[in-house]
Amino acid sequence: MSERQPTRDELLAMAYADGELAAPARDEFEQRLAREPALRREVSALRDLELLARQAAPKELADHEWEALAREPLQRATLGLGAGLLIAGLLALAAFGVYTLLVAELAPLVRWPLVALLLGGTLLFGAVLRGRLRTLPHDPYRKIQR
Amino acid sequence: MILTTTDAIPGKTITDTIGLVRGSAVRGAHLGRDVMAKLKNLVGGELSEYTKLLAEAREQALDRMQAEAQARGANAVVGVRFASSEIDDGAAEVLVYGTAVRVG
Repeated sequence: MSERQPTRDELLAMAYADGELAAPARDEFEQRLAREPALRREVSALRDLELLARQAAPKELADHEWEALAREPLQRATLGLGAGLLIAGLLALAAFGVYTLLVAELAPLVRWPLVALLLGGTLLFGAVLRGRLRTLPHDPYRKIQR
Repeated sequence: MILTTTDAIPGKTITDTIGLVRGSAVRGAHLGRDVMAKLKNLVGGELSEYTKLLAEAREQALDRMQAEAQARGANAVVGVRFASSEIDDGAAEVLVYGTAVRVG
């Protein structure tokens, strides 16, 4: 039985994540990080592990209850249905708002600023959401519970 | 890297004081977490969504302080302190600071 030996990049990533790379090597590695997504993923995975290791406190009694609750079909269905209805309601209201804006008897000086406001808000939200989704794999803190 | 709230580390001697290092993080909960937290607030108990939010900000701030200390050549931070403030409803800010030192 043979264990796979870590590659040079994996060793470098470990040293970098542990803060053990000296200045010239660290700068060089950071330049590579900016260029190589695979290397960024490697360092992110190591940071994930390091953060999980910090969460060493034993489970609290209520945690067992929360976990059992999360497995119960009734609880899952209630949460899923609740969230689904809430999102559907919000989307329907937003769609109604847009429809009303387009068909309502509004002076152009009111209608177009409102359209611009809505469109601008939607575009900005899209940009923010895109940024969040793009950086999500490199945000190890999202896995922290307490 | 040793992080400690005390001003000295038993068994170690501070050979160099590098200076103040700090890290801060402001994190927000997404709408889903916010809604669940508000609902839980109606019935009482722990708002785990916000516990998680604060913990995320705390760990990120700690890592930032540690990264600054490492970049400045320290191998320990003494006198570590935490502070928090409210930037926005549903967002958590944590500031952590201490004195970066070299110990031998």
